[in-house]
Amino acid sequence: MARSLANIIYKGAAAFPAARSTASGSFYQGIFRFSTSVPNDPDTHEDFRPTTKGGSSGLSLKDIVEQDVKENPVMIYMKGVPELPRCGFSALAVRVLKEYNVPLSARNILEDLELKTAVKGFSHWPTFPQIFIKGEFVGGSDIIVSMHQSGELKEKLKDVAGKQQ
Amino acid sequence: MASRMAAISRASRIKTKLETALQAAVLEVEDVSHQHAGHAAVREMEGGAQETHFNVRIVSAKFHGQNLVKRHRMVYELLSDELNSGLHALSITAKTPSEAAVDTQP
Repeated sequence: MARSLANIIYKGAAAFPAARSTASGSFYQGIFRFSTSVPNDPDTHEDFRPTTKGGSSGLSLKDIVEQDVKENPVMIYMKGVPELPRCGFSALAVRVLKEYNVPLSARNILEDLELKTAVKGFSHWPTFPQIFIKGEFVGGSDIIVSMHQSGELKEKLKDVAGKQQ
Repeated sequence: MASRMAAISRASRIKTKLETALQAAVLEVEDVSHQHAGHAAVREMEGGAQETHFNVRIVSAKFHGQNLVKRHRMVYELLSDELNSGLHALSITAKTPSEAAVDTQP
């Protein structure tokens, strides 16, 4: 509890760097002193690293990946964003998936090296893009193209597409 | 000249590693790094776009009974040293001899 409270306050503080470095410095020190789970240097703890995820506090990157693939029927970790891929393979995978008119969730791993590492560790797959369908890792762009050609992808996305209609 | 020699060496290392482990009936390794010369991740690397992207086509009986993810994993595992030393991406076609035979029919 202390940890998440500290996190919230820290985030608030980060939004106002001037305030943090001046009058309120001792206040935050106090918070950290009473918190048992926060290490001495808050800047190195993963809860306190800059985050672009907007997820709830206290989640590790692995938790975030797990949550991503569980909650999003079609999840792609890619270079760039679906509207503007930064790699030909990512572009190809997005183009194939868009054929099926399914809700596509994406994260840009170029923006977050730690997320990139976490995804690689989660899937044990060395390259990007990486595509997960209904929680299952299906592979990269070669595999998605191959599944598209064989009809396997259509079969896999059948009920996903149905939900959206 | 130096870059050309280096390109040959990675391609031939890939070839040797896959050939030995997979006893491939067909094995084609094509360096397509030049196609990705402007790639963000490649630009950031020292020395620019050299030996980073390859197309690999493998026909091997060892792929029998393995789905695509497993086949690709087999290839990635064999090439993990390369992936850790600057090999950036592989485009992999992995088929069994019988699947490859179907493909070549008119």
